Amino acid sequence: MKKFIIVLISVVFAVSSAYSQEEEKKKDKPVRSPFGSGILIDNQTCEIPTAKTLEMLIQHRFGKMDNGIKDIWGIYSPGANIRIGFNYSILDNLIIGYGLTGRKMQSDFQIKWNILQQTRKNTIPVALTLYGNMAIDGRDKENEGIWGMNYKFSNRLSYFGQIIVGRKFTDWLSIQLTSSYTHYNLVDSTSDHDKIGIGINGRARLSAQSSLIFQYDVPLKIKNISEQHDFINPSKPNFAFGLEISTSTHAFQIYITTADGILPQEIYMFNRNDWTKGFSNLMFGFTITRLWSF
Amino acid sequence: MKKTRLLQVTTMVIIGLFLISWMVPQDQKKPGPWEIPSKYKKMENPYKDDASLNKVGKMLYAKHCKSCHGSKGLGDGPKAKQLETFPGDFSTAEFQEHPEGVLWYMTYIGRDEMPSFEKKITDEEDQWAVVNYMRTFAK
Repeated sequence: MKKFIIVLISVVFAVSSAYSQEEEKKKDKPVRSPFGSGILIDNQTCEIPTAKTLEMLIQHRFGKMDNGIKDIWGIYSPGANIRIGFNYSILDNLIIGYGLTGRKMQSDFQIKWNILQQTRKNTIPVALTLYGNMAIDGRDKENEGIWGMNYKFSNRLSYFGQIIVGRKFTDWLSIQLTSSYTHYNLVDSTSDHDKIGIGINGRARLSAQSSLIFQYDVPLKIKNISEQHDFINPSKPNFAFGLEISTSTHAFQIYITTADGILPQEIYMFNRNDWTKGFSNLMFGFTITRLWSF
Repeated sequence: MKKTRLLQVTTMVIIGLFLISWMVPQDQKKPGPWEIPSKYKKMENPYKDDASLNKVGKMLYAKHCKSCHGSKGLGDGPKAKQLETFPGDFSTAEFQEHPEGVLWYMTYIGRDEMPSFEKKITDEEDQWAVVNYMRTFAK
């Protein structure tokens, strides 16, 4: 009986080993670079640089374009906002990051995990990515106008979580759908602590290096999670479009956008600019990324 | 007296500028011979003549290589002038005579100003697609 069991286990092991080798040969590979960078205007993409890669980002918003030539459509405007960030790929599908944003003196910690990668033979038809961050508002704690009479450190914190489903449809077209949840520990009485949003973004490739890019993110008005009786001045959808140039180690994006916030929770919760109102609610922005491999 | 002095200085400055105009920036160094480990010399290209990779090779070359090596592989990309060493002319018979594995080594391992691309083009199929595309530059 013992011999029979040993033989049986050996046969099962040999067959499974041969099968796994055959599987390895047939293994479907991930699609080639669905996006030019890990970031697409204000949104994350399913792209993560290979493990042990450091990424530096500079994201910038100029002022609103409503003054026209007087301030060169917002380029001379004092209402600019900027973020500098550093991300590091721990694994091929896991990246962590830290960044500093000018407005509200925010510092943020973030993490992105590619759970699934779309494959070339469609064995996995979509990429599935999770993204989360925590931001700390760094403004002076003595400012009672912001923090009230009873300052608490926890009131500085805000959180953002997002599920991203993306697909590279053709060599030139990639689209992502997103669903997100935003939470602020402290907001003023006219805002909500929580916000759910959905979005769509993508890129249409023009050549090996350049692409048209767009995004449209909508904060939803959900009564069940709102603390307001009526949505009197709700946050507005964020629309942006632009051009991306992506090289071996750099990506450069220039765009026209609605939101002057840079962190996603700021955009979903506080964007009051309405892209349908034209120049008075739009601004130029750009993003630069640089990669270093170790 | 003052006028004579001024004339002398002006003449010397003009002669000086004239002489400087003959000085040219130092030429780029010619690339020296590569030391390729023997295992790479014998390395075979499993995707040789795979026409399905033509577009992939062209796209990857444009993204990663063109800025230095130029669109036709002549070493005349916009960043080539900033390099101390001429990045090479891929269209020459001398270059094209290199075995497949040698081209792979030069491309992905690199040396000096030629960076390693092992972590930027990670898929083996894509790596060979670029080597195949470099073969199309032959005169």
